[in-house]
Amino acid sequence: MDSNNINFNELWSGQKIEQPDIKDLLLKIDKFKKYNRNKIIFTNVLLFSTSVFILLIWYYFQPQYATSKIGIIMMILAMTIIINSSSKSLNLFKIKFESVSNEEYLKHLLAIKEKQQFMYTTLMNLYFILLSTGISLYMYEYTSRMSTKMAVLTYVITWIWILLNWFYTRPKQIKKQLAKVNELIIKFESIQKQLN
Amino acid sequence: MLEFEEIYNTYWQKISRLCMGYINDYELAQDLAQETFIIVWQQLPKFRNESNIGTWIYKIATNNCLRQIEKQKKFSKTELPINLVEENQSNIENEVQLLYRFISELPEIDRIIISLELENIKQAEIAIIVGLSEANIRVKIHRIKEKLTQQFKENGLK
Repeated sequence: MDSNNINFNELWSGQKIEQPDIKDLLLKIDKFKKYNRNKIIFTNVLLFSTSVFILLIWYYFQPQYATSKIGIIMMILAMTIIINSSSKSLNLFKIKFESVSNEEYLKHLLAIKEKQQFMYTTLMNLYFILLSTGISLYMYEYTSRMSTKMAVLTYVITWIWILLNWFYTRPKQIKKQLAKVNELIIKFESIQKQLN
Repeated sequence: MLEFEEIYNTYWQKISRLCMGYINDYELAQDLAQETFIIVWQQLPKFRNESNIGTWIYKIATNNCLRQIEKQKKFSKTELPINLVEENQSNIENEVQLLYRFISELPEIDRIIISLELENIKQAEIAIIVGLSEANIRVKIHRIKEKLTQQFKENGLK
């Protein structure tokens, strides 16, 4: 060995780390399995009950106008997108190629992060557009029965809320999420450079 | 198929040392090692003997280490200044701690390479795990060992 008289191998193996009982580990695995299963169940229940709720509105209020029906469909779509994307990103996090070389793994990680970056911005925009348009369309039938003054007022209030979401909540959400992803991309890239 | 328990008992110390070299934090290293074995347990049915089981496990472990930064937002290394190391520790324990500290301060890929080398993994295998050429690995190992030796000397321990 070229390291003069220091025996690194010996020092290295001098470190002992307590080995947990395999039963503890299996217990952890079990918990992990249950956690994943519950998450999937929860997502589906949420999606199902939201849709049922909106369909019940449809059934009980019997909207007459096509605008209301289109509005309802758009709102369901918006919610489906959000729920679906959260379970999708859950899948994305579960990388199925843990046993590739470090070099390939870093490539995969970077690709995933870049996809997340894109997906997040696009989906958030789509969600807000669908939801806002859906609500506006749905309202039309009911506001058309109000006096003009009340109808205008209702729309103004709703649109203030929508614009607030669009110009404040949406960019803030996107920025927060992207900052995290961007930071990771920079870090992974710096590790990748070490391979050159 | 290999028994999971057998793998666990054979590789626990090796994998946890590797994680310790990467992160130099006892608790976090233990967590990382456990995560590795959870992945091994999940993936084991898919393991076909196309590669050495050791290589396969080390790939999973090192990739899991690389991924750690994703989760370690709040993580800050608990570094003990050398002169604060307790008096009653033997010289050898001191040196073990120093070695792990110096390794964890190397660039990420170097940490992985030197940890595998010190675990007596063949350089050809290390090349497969990391995804670099064998010649490249050899050069890197040489440089890392030189650097570590120098750091030990600067600390006047040998």
